[in-house]
Amino acid sequence: MDFPGSLRPTVFMTGPLGLSDVPDMSFMCSWRDALTLPESLPQNSENGVPHVAKGLLWEPETPGPLPLLPPGPDPWHPGLTAQDLLFRGGHPFQKQPRVVLDVTEQLSRFLWDHGDIAFAPLGKLMLENFKLEGARSRSKKTTVVSVKRLLQDLDGHQPWGCPWAYLSYRQRRFSILGGPILGKSVANLLGDLLHEELVMRWEQLLLDDAFTGGALAWVPGKTPRVGQLVYPAGSTLDKLYFQEVSLTPGGNPQVLRDPGHIQLRGPVRQVVTRTVQGESLLAVRSDYHCALWKVSRQGRPAPLQVLQVEKGATGISLSPHLPGELAVCSRSGAICLWTPQDGLRRVYKDPDTLVFRDPSPWRWADFTAHPRVLTVGDRTGVKIVDTQGPPGCGLLLFRGGAEASCQKGERVLLTQYLGEGSPESLHSTLHLICTQFSLYLVDERLPLVPMLKWNHGLPSAPLLARLLPPPGPGCPRPLLLGGQDGQLQLLHITGEEASTPRLAGPPQSLPSRNDSLSAFPVLEPKSQWRLQERLKAPTIGLAAAIPPSTSTPILSLFQLSAAGDVFHQCLRLQADPGPDSCAPTVSWSPQATACCSQWLKALLEVPPAPPVWAAPTFSHRRLLGCVEQREVEGKVPEGLRAAMAEGRLLQQRDLGSLPTAEPPPAPEPGPDDELSKRLEAAWEGQAAAWWERRQGRSSGPRQQPKRHKRRTQLSSTFSSLSGRLELSDVTSPPPSPDPEARPRPPGTPPSQELAQEHWARGVPSERQQTLRDYMAKLPLREDALEDASAPPSQTSSIRATRSRQRTLQDNTAKPPLQRDTPEGAFVPSSQTSSIQATPSRQQTPVLSGSQRIRKKPRMGF
Amino acid sequence: MSDFSEELIKSTTEDDQGERCELSGTGMHFPWLQKHIETVATGGKKEKDFAQTTSACLSFIQEALLKHQWQQAAEYMHSYLQVLEDSDSCKRQAAPEIIWKLGSEILYYHPKSNVEAFNAFADRMKNIGVMNYLKISLQHALYLLHHGMLEDANRNLSQAETWRYGEKSSSQEVLINLIQAYKGLLQYYAWSKKKMELSQLDKDDYAYNTASQNMLDHSWKTSVNLGALIQIPGVWDPFVKSYVEMLEFYGDQDGAREVLTNYAYDEKFPSNPNAHIYLYNFLKREKAPREKLISVLKILYQIVPSHKLMLEFHRLLRKSEKEEHHKLGLEVLFAVLDFAGCTKNITAWKYLAKYLRQTLMGSHLAWVQEEWSSRKNWWPGFHFSYFWAKSDWKEDKALACEKALVAGVLSGKGCRYFRYISKQDHQVFRKKIKRMKKLVKKYSIINPGL
Repeated sequence: MDFPGSLRPTVFMTGPLGLSDVPDMSFMCSWRDALTLPESLPQNSENGVPHVAKGLLWEPETPGPLPLLPPGPDPWHPGLTAQDLLFRGGHPFQKQPRVVLDVTEQLSRFLWDHGDIAFAPLGKLMLENFKLEGARSRSKKTTVVSVKRLLQDLDGHQPWGCPWAYLSYRQRRFSILGGPILGKSVANLLGDLLHEELVMRWEQLLLDDAFTGGALAWVPGKTPRVGQLVYPAGSTLDKLYFQEVSLTPGGNPQVLRDPGHIQLRGPVRQVVTRTVQGESLLAVRSDYHCALWKVSRQGRPAPLQVLQVEKGATGISLSPHLPGELAVCSRSGAICLWTPQDGLRRVYKDPDTLVFRDPSPWRWADFTAHPRVLTVGDRTGVKIVDTQGPPGCGLLLFRGGAEASCQKGERVLLTQYLGEGSPESLHSTLHLICTQFSLYLVDERLPLVPMLKWNHGLPSAPLLARLLPPPGPGCPRPLLLGGQDGQLQLLHITGEEASTPRLAGPPQSLPSRNDSLSAFPVLEPKSQWRLQERLKAPTIGLAAAIPPSTSTPILSLFQLSAAGDVFHQCLRLQADPGPDSCAPTVSWSPQATACCSQWLKALLEVPPAPPVWAAPTFSHRRLLGCVEQREVEGKVPEGLRAAMAEGRLLQQRDLGSLPTAEPPPAPEPGPDDELSKRLEAAWEGQAAAWWERRQGRSSGPRQQPKRHKRRTQLSSTFSSLSGRLELSDVTSPPPSPDPEARPRPPGTPPSQELAQEHWARGVPSERQQTLRDYMAKLPLREDALEDASAPPSQTSSIRATRSRQRTLQDNTAKPPLQRDTPEGAFVPSSQTSSIQATPSRQQTPVLSGSQRIRKKPRMGF
Repeated sequence: MSDFSEELIKSTTEDDQGERCELSGTGMHFPWLQKHIETVATGGKKEKDFAQTTSACLSFIQEALLKHQWQQAAEYMHSYLQVLEDSDSCKRQAAPEIIWKLGSEILYYHPKSNVEAFNAFADRMKNIGVMNYLKISLQHALYLLHHGMLEDANRNLSQAETWRYGEKSSSQEVLINLIQAYKGLLQYYAWSKKKMELSQLDKDDYAYNTASQNMLDHSWKTSVNLGALIQIPGVWDPFVKSYVEMLEFYGDQDGAREVLTNYAYDEKFPSNPNAHIYLYNFLKREKAPREKLISVLKILYQIVPSHKLMLEFHRLLRKSEKEEHHKLGLEVLFAVLDFAGCTKNITAWKYLAKYLRQTLMGSHLAWVQEEWSSRKNWWPGFHFSYFWAKSDWKEDKALACEKALVAGVLSGKGCRYFRYISKQDHQVFRKKIKRMKKLVKKYSIINPGL
């Protein structure tokens, strides 16, 4: 092999990361990299050195990638966000907001939502009876608590979910006396563990290295146009799919047949494929297992080997030299080589990192130009290790330090061997090393000094990279770099064997899945949000193929998202587009939008992911008992009781169809002037309610406006009755006979007039006066008082149901952790308003039902 | 003047910023941390409108650059220049570097830009702040060099060379050395042009004398310029090469040897294969003794066993009288063929086939066995598989024959590669294959009787 005759001048300095005194040679632009020093004579440089094609541009055919396969049937949840983990309060005096993990909120939520888990074991650990601290003088009865009874009270349910829930005297006493002890031990035990967990989650959110390398592979088939995409899908990514795809000359892939799949026992993190000596091999890494398949010419996978990695596998690579050979890295710092002849062999083990101390257990191994030499990488550097030499020795290929003028805090995220094993490949000694800031190309023959450094500036971790074959003779090789959040960059690497690798032209960014949003039809906010979340899912796999083409080279790009979606994009090479070309704007073709709408339709049919958090349950045994004691009839209480027994939300359908009064004939309304109504509502500050009504009009019966109309009509008819009957007089003296009026949340329209209207209706007008007189004589005030002091069980039962109902609704309406966000606040308010908007329909029947029981005897007498 | 003092405190404030972005514990920096924080931060000091617009503008420029929309990037750049008036001194300090980086990139690729525009931009940028003068001068000179404007480049470098600001920091010193070295390289170009002209002149001509006098002048200046930089650890291939060429031309062999030896053997320098190659070529030109050449190549063999000079090394070792060199000669051949990039090197296979026979004839079976023992479990799969037999025979029959001979000698007649090739019937190669079978029968290290 030839070595470049003259390397680019570089200062070589040893030292730690972020050494400020190094003249920063990375203060380079891509054009700077394109410059080559003329070898001997300057005349050559003028015309001899080929002026690198200035604009080597891959032009996308559509503004964004398109879905290739329909979405999977399993729901997908985007997981934790920074909002779930970080403390949201601001530090007013700090210039920059700080990262503070919100342990307290998580802990309080845990205690609140899962009190049974938090406290029950403690109770079980205690003896049957235990003595609480207390003065000697106190009787045994107040200081000794029977745990058995206490647990019986708790019995699988817990009252913490609801402030109004019934607490037994025992429980109260226990919680007051035992509170300090319990609080401390639980908080101490849980707090540490929770903090640990949150730190881990937060680190994972910042950098999830499980999918390093990518879980999407393109296995070439019999002809260059046909291949198989191998990728995991399903809600837990534990099904490995084999989808045959054919690339048309136009670049658009066609899905052939239904995909075959293999069910695995863990989530697939990495899928690697190599074709060595005509044999296609497929290696898969899961968290604790690695497996190797041989893919036959027909595309059928045959299992070869399964390896168990006890400490967890972090990387797997297939040898480009010898069929079936693979390297596996484990979290413990061990690197193993598996060969068909020798089986598994540990070739390297070092729990410490290479250059300086870094806590990450991430390790990576790849092959080199020598089949018996591996590279071993961690966050701090990359080492070349001879598997046949004495263990532990080797040369550093890359050092996170001043040698490569690394920045402070820079860490290796990905290393990859760019050679393919075949002697034809020009870069058989090159290694790609990616950090969060830069990309390095290192030649294994000249360790420590990068041949090329490019500041990629990706806003997410570059965990995916693919070097593609040259699209045409003499063309530079495209290098794809993929960020975790879907950003893609394409670089052109040129350089024959006798010259250093260089960037040919400026790098290019490719559209991400987010750019496809405009191809989808506009949806209502909730679905739109869901679509956006889905498109924003992290990219966990990248594959590309350059099918042999007749005229312009085509690049077929596939990406896999964490939701299991495979997207495809087709790019066309525009070599030397000429001076007046800026990237032409492409638009969506009708086929593309049709494809997107079809995909979207399928996506919306997938049920949304079940909420991670479920509403707390509490003991309703007693309450059920109370309800059962009563003799009730009618569908409504029955529905209520059934809902209570099952502990679920009371819904409209449980109550059955409600008795609806025939509306009086209304005069023909004038032309429906929507705008003025809306403006009117807006002036009164009820634009939202107006919108709500308008939305509801199409679906439900026109309740609200009708009633409103009816009422105005009524009032007008009444006023036309020359004031003989002044209902407002009647309504003012007696307070509402409805005991439920009190706990109603503020802002509820008083239902009095409605209630009055209710009883007044159906009474002949000549008898109304009598009735009014009669009512005035009734000791309604005492009645109301009596109501207030009525058996506590009853009021509390009803109140509890109501409040519970509300909490349930609140909780199901929004995830508990977003309670303070504006969106979160908006949803329940609209919901409550919708509940409140129809109080007479939803609640009065229930109440009047119970009212009737109480009222009947009175009326009777 | 306030600018300068601000720049001096710049480094410390930058460090502070780094500290803030850092997540306690791992020490890793996340460029995307800010994005996460922004989703939760409710309090804290909000960015000013000015900062918001400039940072938005910056991201637009970067986006346009990555989409190759030079026109658009230039328009945004026009607006971005306002960042130079940022009230935040930290940002104002960092701005010139960013502007230079992006601006030069736009001007380099913009279809309507020209050298004059680039020059004007570079001259303007050099004088905004003081920290970037040297870097920008250097890059500007490289740009001019690339466009064939050597004189302008030279003038630029001369200007930069004399520039000083404050106390010379070590990074400044390296940069000045680098600038001087590039200047030296330019002088070397001029010198080598003159040398060409001189070679075309008659020695008795009057012009010859003045020309040679000119060359002497140049040489002296260049050696001053180049000499300083190549003492600093680094990769200085083009400088060393031209310096040595000039020294050699003027008969300073010792000086050249010293430069090359220092470049190759100084511990502080990275292990650059070229350093050894240059030294070897120099010694070869000097007709140094074989021992000396072997010792130089021995080190290159340690660094890059796959280099093409290794075949030359093998020839040297073969010719040597020492037995250990003969053994090393075998080792070198095996090592070359270990590498994926050399598997189709027919010369190497030819050498190996020939040398194996020679070694075995010289009854050094142990040497071969020693080399083979570490390779016997992977060479058959790597070199002598059925797949390669088929494809080699199809592509390069001569190579296939050489490989088959080696395969037969090393892994016996049962080897698949050998079997496949020996079964082939080809008019031209019939004789060769027959000879091969005979040799394998005679020399194979695998004893079929055992």
